[in-house]
Amino acid sequence: MAAPADDAALPQATVEPARRARLSPVWIVPLVAAVVALGIFAERVLSEGPAVTIVFQSAEGIEAGKTFVKYKDVNIGQVTAVRLTEDFGRVEVTARIAKSAAGLMVEDAKFWVVRPRISLSGVSGLSTLLSGDYIGFDAGASTKRQKTFTGLEVPPIIDGGPGRRFVLHAPDLGSLGIGSPVYFRRLPVGQVVAIDLAADGKSVAITVFVNAPYDRYVTAGTRFWNASGFDVSLTANGIDVRTQSLVALLEGGLAFETPAFAPAAVPAAANAPFRLFADRASALKPDDTIATRYVLYFAESLRGLSVGAPVTFFGVGVGEVVAIGLTLDERTLNARPRVEIVVYPQRMISALPAAQEKLADTMVGNRELRHAIMRRMVADRGLRAQLMTGSLITGQLYVALGYFPDAKPVRFDPGADPPELPVVPSPFPALEAKLSSIVAKLDRVPLDAIGAELKLALATLDQTLKDVGRMAVSVETQAVPALRSALDDAKGALAATERVMGSAENNLVGASAPGQIELRHALQELARAARALRVLADYLERHPESLLRGKTPEAAPK
Amino acid sequence: MDSVACRCCDLLQRVPPLPRGGKARCVRCGQLLATRPADPLDAPLALTIAAAIAFAVANATPMLRLSAEGREAQTTLPGGALAMWQAGSELTALAVAFCAVVAPACHLALLLAVLLAVRRPPAPPWVGVAMRWLERVRPWAMTEVLLLGVLVALTKIAQLASVAPGPGLFALLAVVLLVPAIATTFDADLVWRRIAWADARAQVRA
Amino acid sequence: MTAQAGSAAACGLVACGDCALVSRPASAAAAGHCPRCGAALAWRQPRSLQRTWALLVAAAVLYVPANVLPVLVTDTLVSSQSDTIMSGVVLLYTTGSWPLALIVLVASVMIPLGKLAALAYVLVTVQRGSAANARERTRLTRTVEFIGRWSMLDVFVDTFVVALVQLSPLMSVAPGPGVVWFMAVVVLTMLAARSFDPRLIWDAAAAREDRDGRPR
Repeated sequence: MAAPADDAALPQATVEPARRARLSPVWIVPLVAAVVALGIFAERVLSEGPAVTIVFQSAEGIEAGKTFVKYKDVNIGQVTAVRLTEDFGRVEVTARIAKSAAGLMVEDAKFWVVRPRISLSGVSGLSTLLSGDYIGFDAGASTKRQKTFTGLEVPPIIDGGPGRRFVLHAPDLGSLGIGSPVYFRRLPVGQVVAIDLAADGKSVAITVFVNAPYDRYVTAGTRFWNASGFDVSLTANGIDVRTQSLVALLEGGLAFETPAFAPAAVPAAANAPFRLFADRASALKPDDTIATRYVLYFAESLRGLSVGAPVTFFGVGVGEVVAIGLTLDERTLNARPRVEIVVYPQRMISALPAAQEKLADTMVGNRELRHAIMRRMVADRGLRAQLMTGSLITGQLYVALGYFPDAKPVRFDPGADPPELPVVPSPFPALEAKLSSIVAKLDRVPLDAIGAELKLALATLDQTLKDVGRMAVSVETQAVPALRSALDDAKGALAATERVMGSAENNLVGASAPGQIELRHALQELARAARALRVLADYLERHPESLLRGKTPEAAPK
Repeated sequence: MDSVACRCCDLLQRVPPLPRGGKARCVRCGQLLATRPADPLDAPLALTIAAAIAFAVANATPMLRLSAEGREAQTTLPGGALAMWQAGSELTALAVAFCAVVAPACHLALLLAVLLAVRRPPAPPWVGVAMRWLERVRPWAMTEVLLLGVLVALTKIAQLASVAPGPGLFALLAVVLLVPAIATTFDADLVWRRIAWADARAQVRA
Repeated sequence: MTAQAGSAAACGLVACGDCALVSRPASAAAAGHCPRCGAALAWRQPRSLQRTWALLVAAAVLYVPANVLPVLVTDTLVSSQSDTIMSGVVLLYTTGSWPLALIVLVASVMIPLGKLAALAYVLVTVQRGSAANARERTRLTRTVEFIGRWSMLDVFVDTFVVALVQLSPLMSVAPGPGVVWFMAVVVLTMLAARSFDPRLIWDAAAAREDRDGRPR
């Protein structure tokens, strides 16, 4: 081992002075950071689309940074600022539109606020309950770019699917509203999309949209009628309760059908005008172009007979009562009841073999011929008019035509205008027996049970709606005021229904049992829906995350 | 004076004191024996600049993005504190803003100022004040706690909705990695030694 | 001065709290300013024990509402749920993410509690002039100072949950009243840890040795 070398004797390492300008490699780190930061910044600037300004009446539900602009359910932008216009009259919403959607910001593009709209005919914008209100957008056809738009206050009806619009004219709107359903054979096939007052203010034009393929069932001969609510008619035919569906019952709706007598026509053109009838019966009544008037002089009380009461022949409606009054008998100078009726001869020969159709037409068309036939029927067969009781309970009367060969022969004078038809007295004794048997039958109808059931169903529904109402309150009230008011409305509607039910319960004694059954079905359906809603609420209570993530299979308990 | 044996040729030799940025090479074979960095405060300066850029990105870009049922939400670092303020917890919002934004920003800014100022000694006395504040603000700059907090929040929310990290989270990660790197390369003693003394006479006596 | 041989104070010197320069103080009563950085010099942090005790007691008091009151209030369409720190940990555990639950448990429950206990222990021993385990106690104060900040974790988690989950009315999260107390506990314990001067541990230890008259 050599002794430790003396420091001084050792050679000295070469010393290299610092090379200036040389940078330490550590500077790569900030360089990389700067490049990445610049990259992020550049990407942001480059991907930024245009800012557009939309003017609305109110900013309800619109929040800067939270409200999106959606086109076909795709986010195309986000609201960045909400402020009042300079005159404080309206609200200016600024939205940053994605660059990819910049081309859509053209002159005739439409913006509107999508809020939950809950009506019984359907819930629209339900997704906004989850997603919050958003600004809907519909592209325009123009190519001229624009930056400022005026927002629509009512969502436009986007003809999303194929179908056609028709314009119905009605004297008043009834309980219809935008979105009211249109039924065809109780199938919802469309909706009311617009309501306008006619220019002269004397009628309402209701534009309906009927979805394809159902639109082809709308032909020139199609009749539309208002199917709103209950159609309770107290006529000589008894009480007739008709409703299209529970929704129409509560909310109103329209229905259409093409009557059998209408000519088999081609589908109606788009925007074709139609008349809106008040109810189904009047809608489906044939156009009685040919009517023959007759006058009847009864010798008994006309109490229970009303204008519009049917005139039947072998039980088939062939006409109606058009006038009721008293008149003076020229011979005895005594007052006597006078009833004027119209008879539609077409209805008497509604279905004839094709070969005879022409003959029938000429026969019906010729007044002389008609009277000749009538005279023969009166003289040879004993055709007489008779007052009949339509409903024992209501005492409604109608006019029945029938053959009474044993009746005293009478002369039919076709020359009088209108000609007089001979009458026979009402068969009251027969009525008594019938009455008692019907009363016995009525006793057996379990009205109490039915009523209780109705009430129970309504109570369940009311309770559920109260629950829903509570839920809505706990939900930020300003977020969905529409929901609350809609629920209140629904409650109100239900209360109204309950009242109707109450009165219906009292009045529903008529023979219209099918109406009752229909009603019970509807209410059972309602109760089921209410139960389902409760189950949903319970589930959500236990699994709040399912709101966000969707329903997940139950995890096995640990 | 150190004596070393060259790794290449085993020549025993002395390494004289090196000038800044200088290198010593083996007198016989030219093997690099020792280096003295140009400026020992260069590395922390570079890292601090990188951290400052990353921190700016972390504050300007979204940390987390959430989407559920067609709704989207995202939040930035200052946006989180702002949301807390708007939710009615103002004091917490201030604390979060201070610990997550203000303190780290002050920390990096002071570091940057100190490191730039001491490049040409003697540094002015305000650098001493800056150093003092640097020490005071450091415990409150909680970027690493923040990062863990964001990650826990992400996992927590991920049970409810789909949530994705944004660029801000990665920038924050970069800051969290850079800050200890700065701390290890930063020589506080060296900085102090380069600062002009407050009491010039005392320096002479010392 | 009671400081003993070996310490700077015993040699009549004082170390600057900022730049660590050891200098001769202006006078024993008023140490004056550091000649290098100009910071005020002090033999020990002024009124360290008092301040630490005050902050510690305040933190301990606030620890109760911080744990009893909810820190997060989750409102969904049908329900409203309040979570305290502990129930949040339980919730995390039951939903299957136990590592996360552990992190939050350690950061939000064990660290604040441990900090309170450790500081109280160190303070009591210093006041009783204990000489035992001075090294361990110093390490304990250093640890407390170092890990204290991690308790802010829960505050950050809550902040981001609140900032992000604003899907009202579907689901929205709001901070509960407990979060501000919890934040106060963390800040106060951090301040307490910083106001404690660990040199006091050694001063006390040295004084005890001196009194007992036997060197360590």
